[in-house]
Amino acid sequence: MKKLSVVVAGTGQIRDVEMQPGTTAGDVLHQLNLSDYLLSKGPNEPFFAATESVYDKVKDGEKIFASTKAEVGVLPLCA
Amino acid sequence: MRVKDLGTRPAPASLREMFSRLARGHAPATPIQRREMPYWQEYGWSRQANVYTGNYQTQYGAFQGWIEQERSGKIDFYLYKPSDEIRSHSHWTCFQHRGNDWYLVHMAKEPKDVDSGIMTIERLIKEAYEG
Repeated sequence: MKKLSVVVAGTGQIRDVEMQPGTTAGDVLHQLNLSDYLLSKGPNEPFFAATESVYDKVKDGEKIFASTKAEVGVLPLCA
Repeated sequence: MRVKDLGTRPAPASLREMFSRLARGHAPATPIQRREMPYWQEYGWSRQANVYTGNYQTQYGAFQGWIEQERSGKIDFYLYKPSDEIRSHSHWTCFQHRGNDWYLVHMAKEPKDVDSGIMTIERLIKEAYEG
């Protein structure tokens, strides 16, 4: 088991979770009822894919971020 | 007589404190209150009404920014004097000049909060510098 603190963008609220090996980003977001969010270790790190195991990528007690999906662009000029 | 009793004297304060601590055991842990604050606040942005000023912070430097949250809830993100690296990014066409070297960063998918927008732009700046 590992403990994880998820900082929710927009509020700064910190949600603590405890997870078992194999827990994915999608599992964490679902458990926290943050379906429109993405998890990352911070803006300098890529987002976790929903099916990616967060358990393997974080240390026990680490703080990560949940932010809403956003994309720079002017459709259809930008991707 | 091989041993001569010289009487007693108090032990040094440091020794007395050490033995006293051993007798008491560990002091109860003091819970430390952690700070729960929005990303913008934690990273030094300031807010006046619906306007935020601060810097987009990346490992490549801090980039001056300005954010305005409209009454409708729409959030406009501005960047001051984008660097050559940012101007060379594939999303440069998404930056609209608004005068005085300020550029509006157009969002195809808008963030729901200021924090997410700041992180999106910081991620874009990082991409620009990493080619």
